[in-house]
Amino acid sequence: MTTYHESAKYHVTGEAVYIDDIQINDQLLHGFVYTSPHAHARIISFDLEEAKKVKGVHAILSHKDIPGHNNMGPVFHDEPALAFEKVECIGQAVFLIAAESEEAALEAKKVIKIEYEILPAVVTIEESIEKNMLLQPERKIECGNVEEAFKNVPHILEGELITGGQEHWYLETQICLCVPGEGNDIKAYSSTQNPMETQAIIAEVLGVQKNEVEVEMRRMGGAFGGKETQGNHLAAWAALLVHHTKRPVKVRLQRDEDQLITGKRHPFLFKYKAGFDNDGKILAIDVLHYANGGYASDLSMAILERAMLHAENSYFIPNMRIIGKAMKTNLPSNVAFRGFGGPQGMACVETIIDKIARILKKDAAEIRYKNFYGLNERNTTPYGQTVENNRLYVLWEQLMNSSSYEKRKKDIEKFNNENEFYKKGIALTPVKFGISFTSSFLNQAGALVNIYTDGTLLVNHGGSEMGQGLNTKIQQIAALEMGVSIDKIKVNATNTSKVPNTSATAASSGSDLNGAAVKDAIEKLKYRLIPVAAKELRKNNVPPTDEKAIVFENNVVYDSQNPDRKMSFLQLVSLAYIQQVSMSATGFYKTPDIHFDRATGKGKPFHYFAFGMAVSEVQVDILTGRVQLLRSDILHDVGESIIPNIDKGQVEGAFIQGVGWVTSEEMKYDAKGYLLNHSPDTYKIPSIQDIPADFRVELLKGYPNPNAIRKSKAVGEPPIMLAFSVWLAIKDAISSIKNHKIEPDFCIPATNENILLSIEKLPASVSKTI
Amino acid sequence: MSQKITFLLGNKLTEIDFSNSVYTPTTTVLQYLRSLSGHKGVKEGCAEGDCGACTVVIAENKNGKLEYRAYDSCIIFLPMLHGKQLLTVENLGNSTNLHPVQQAMIETDGSQCGFCTPGFVMSMFAVFKQFKKPTLAEINDALTGNLCRCTGYRPIIEATQRACKLEGKDKFSEEEPEIIKMLECINTKTAISLNTGKQNYFIPFTKAKALSLKAKYPDALVINGATDIALRVTKKKEFLPMLLDLSHIAGLKKIQTKSDAVIFGSGACMEDVRMKSKKIFPALYEMLSVFGSKQIRNKATLGGNIGSASPIGDTPPVLMAYDASVCVENASSSREIKLREFVVSYRTTQLKNDELITSVIIPKLSEGTIVKSYKVSKRKDMDISTVSAGFRLKIESGIVKEIALYYGGMAALTKCAAKAENYLLGKEWTREHVEQTMTLIDEEFTPISDARSGADARKIMARNLLLKFWSETK
Repeated sequence: MTTYHESAKYHVTGEAVYIDDIQINDQLLHGFVYTSPHAHARIISFDLEEAKKVKGVHAILSHKDIPGHNNMGPVFHDEPALAFEKVECIGQAVFLIAAESEEAALEAKKVIKIEYEILPAVVTIEESIEKNMLLQPERKIECGNVEEAFKNVPHILEGELITGGQEHWYLETQICLCVPGEGNDIKAYSSTQNPMETQAIIAEVLGVQKNEVEVEMRRMGGAFGGKETQGNHLAAWAALLVHHTKRPVKVRLQRDEDQLITGKRHPFLFKYKAGFDNDGKILAIDVLHYANGGYASDLSMAILERAMLHAENSYFIPNMRIIGKAMKTNLPSNVAFRGFGGPQGMACVETIIDKIARILKKDAAEIRYKNFYGLNERNTTPYGQTVENNRLYVLWEQLMNSSSYEKRKKDIEKFNNENEFYKKGIALTPVKFGISFTSSFLNQAGALVNIYTDGTLLVNHGGSEMGQGLNTKIQQIAALEMGVSIDKIKVNATNTSKVPNTSATAASSGSDLNGAAVKDAIEKLKYRLIPVAAKELRKNNVPPTDEKAIVFENNVVYDSQNPDRKMSFLQLVSLAYIQQVSMSATGFYKTPDIHFDRATGKGKPFHYFAFGMAVSEVQVDILTGRVQLLRSDILHDVGESIIPNIDKGQVEGAFIQGVGWVTSEEMKYDAKGYLLNHSPDTYKIPSIQDIPADFRVELLKGYPNPNAIRKSKAVGEPPIMLAFSVWLAIKDAISSIKNHKIEPDFCIPATNENILLSIEKLPASVSKTI
Repeated sequence: MSQKITFLLGNKLTEIDFSNSVYTPTTTVLQYLRSLSGHKGVKEGCAEGDCGACTVVIAENKNGKLEYRAYDSCIIFLPMLHGKQLLTVENLGNSTNLHPVQQAMIETDGSQCGFCTPGFVMSMFAVFKQFKKPTLAEINDALTGNLCRCTGYRPIIEATQRACKLEGKDKFSEEEPEIIKMLECINTKTAISLNTGKQNYFIPFTKAKALSLKAKYPDALVINGATDIALRVTKKKEFLPMLLDLSHIAGLKKIQTKSDAVIFGSGACMEDVRMKSKKIFPALYEMLSVFGSKQIRNKATLGGNIGSASPIGDTPPVLMAYDASVCVENASSSREIKLREFVVSYRTTQLKNDELITSVIIPKLSEGTIVKSYKVSKRKDMDISTVSAGFRLKIESGIVKEIALYYGGMAALTKCAAKAENYLLGKEWTREHVEQTMTLIDEEFTPISDARSGADARKIMARNLLLKFWSETK
């Protein structure tokens, strides 16, 4: 039987409760953020007195009103909750307003007095590089001997690549509702991927103890990394307003505010040099990663690190040097976004391969294959981890065949020779994505499982449901481990008072970590229940029932050696209650055997790798730059899927989100650092008509993962990078204009504008067909 | 005049008296619904009609049958509901009694985070009621106005196909006669004037009444679909003191076919104009097929698109290429103005304070004349033009007899490439000649760089569109 999303019936009827839907009494105040209009300025003075007098306004706060620490930076404490002395980006929070209505808050905003001294702002990464404005010290990963290798390589290519930012565009904008309790107690309903950190930030800004702060998160209306740290900001603001008004306060960003204030996927600039032989085998790569971090550190260093750890994607590079620098700019601090730097890091090596193919006049797919990690040799990453259980070859073989790649490649060549104004392109790209937080200690999770006397289970865990189906998988895992039907399992809202000290639901690790913790809790419960069952089933029976033979299955508990000796799960639970057996247990899991030394850039940061591969075909109207995505074939490795339909949904959704990043989603800032595309009017995520006309997504069958819960694999992030197949197919189409003799100027995103400019730059002299 | 509006919320007769209400006439339907405890399913995703999370279905009595259409509730003012039935996701079913579209959404894994889902369900419900057997293109078209960031859309298409196998039969089919009866009892004869003391909102039901109100209140802001004006409330937080809402005037929605022209009432919604144009004015049909979303086209009007005089309005270039005219009227007289002369500068028209645009007249094309339209935008659908174009061409014996090249997005108003037209007139319609006009087009325009595109790319687009026109007409 198919298992559907545990909330689907509430989603489709509007019954699902998101934070903005929580029914709250009429004491509720609305919180608003007054933000900086300047990218860089010193605050000379401000006066809030007149604004405080506006009818319906209950509080206006500045940094002076923060009782605890003025910080909401998760790792480095360089991001104040409210601006202090200076502002460093447009949209930085300066004041908070609690009011009965939006009208009152708008009125107050008008009469707030603040004087700035405008300072020079750095809004481009190029300028930041020129001024060497590092957010944190640079990082390095190196293997082989790059200097030496370049002395002997037959071909060298050098270049630069820009990858653009990406707005998360979760449908539910950032939101937090805080409700005061007695004493210092405060409860936050927060749209956060990391309730534990939200709890910590609230405690810090209020100067209270963590045991006085409860954070609850039932579901998010999408997150994609955008609520890994930024949910904390809203929570800090709402909590501060609650502290001063003693009333419930809800802060919800409106769409334009959300797009202006919050961080995005990090734009990157790459400077690379690659050496390769006549066959297309890469012998050496020297690459510089510059990440545009915005004004504060947030998770930029971890994101940069993941980019560096994915700089070689699926390819064995014997000599490689990756230097990473996170640069400061006067833009909102950039943050986690699905893939967490991985997509950026991979974009560069995929560009290199694409260029090698053009230089050697070979098919790029062939060059990729030649450089794949080997099964038993050529399988050490630049950071020293061995690539085990390599699925690249099986994916390649199945996908080349199912996608009819060779035949279509020929058909496309014919089409391109016959058509002047429309060009087609095709590309195959692989993904190898490392699973685990690269800060190894974060790879831990907790659970609390309660069995009630009616035979139902309430499962609490530390992960957060953002639509990915985590709670559905947890429900399935709990049902299978406990041997009861899925309707007996309810997965509770994530709550810091139920399961403490958890990690963010991020790094694709939600099910791996929390599923294993739930399993641990259920094993403890079974350990307590089995003696009760065995004692009951062996009554008057010879030979006696052995505890080891007790099986939990389909709501029945039985002796596997004497299957007629059985009782219902409910009977067992009732009996255990009478016998005073505890039916509540905590579970815990930590990923074994992973480590990474940042100083040396070596270690085994990943528990395992997830693999995937895609072939995409596009048609480009070279007069308008319009791209039609004709067909995408995807084969993705999720080990033994816990719920195949949920995993397929992750693959499809991530792929389309990736297609948005590489095609239509573009951020443009003016010279003052103001984001021009701050609403869906001008920021274009894929619509229903932008998906492949022919969309074939399959999960790889028959390859269980020995390293994770129920032999499954993480799936949240890896498929986003399959969208490179679309990006490079577009490049292939443009390249065909000059019969693949000229390297088109190309970046992410390939918007219609960038495509037209790329075509415009092609020299007129080379066998021009238009 | 009455202070109240009356509509059905589900099958519940609902009255709002604005003289004593927490709502104002510019309260949006979304704000209204979210203030009720039983309709939290409707979501705000963008408050500008670009994401569809707030989609509702409004049913109207059209000659004794209910017509169900999807709308973005975030940009509908509450009084626009008068005389209609408003349906939200809660009216369709609940978790123990699901509507077929809801059931199908579950079975195809059509929801992930679920936030966009109620909006999708409502757009799907509109498809379910409108089409017996919708094609893939019709489904895609109907769901373009709903953004989903999780699923990649494929399962949602599948869900729609699955639900539509029931050919629209559901509980609403059974309730239809009863609902029609209830709607017929609502006043749609006597004009309504809503006055809160601060704000005036007029709802006339006839053109004559509208014109007399416009004569009396020349400063009243005229709205019909309000897909543009509503953003002044939801985005710019403007207070609009006086509004004249033409959306209830059936007479302005009429489309009349004459022997030599089609007369579109200024209040005809873009979706109706689009369907009417399919055979007669294919270039207009093409343009309207990439105009906004179905939700927007159900609401936006031809008169509004022209009246707003936006330099990036989608319809003016193609309408000018068709040599369309607008008919404007005041209480005592009417006049007809060529559209190309109607807009005089950035967002400014010849319309006088006491006048209303009442219709748009598009002459049928004479034998041998070709009109084509083009739109370049970052995303094909649900996007505003970066550059748009409407071209007209007549060739006799290989010679250009007539040519008109109108561009949107290249200047402060829709502008023709006069130098290129002059150059090409009387010449052979050859690639060589067309390519020689490229520098003339460059000279003609000095476009701006903005969030949509840089000026350089706009120039390339303008040139390329002419080449594209040639390649399709050679």
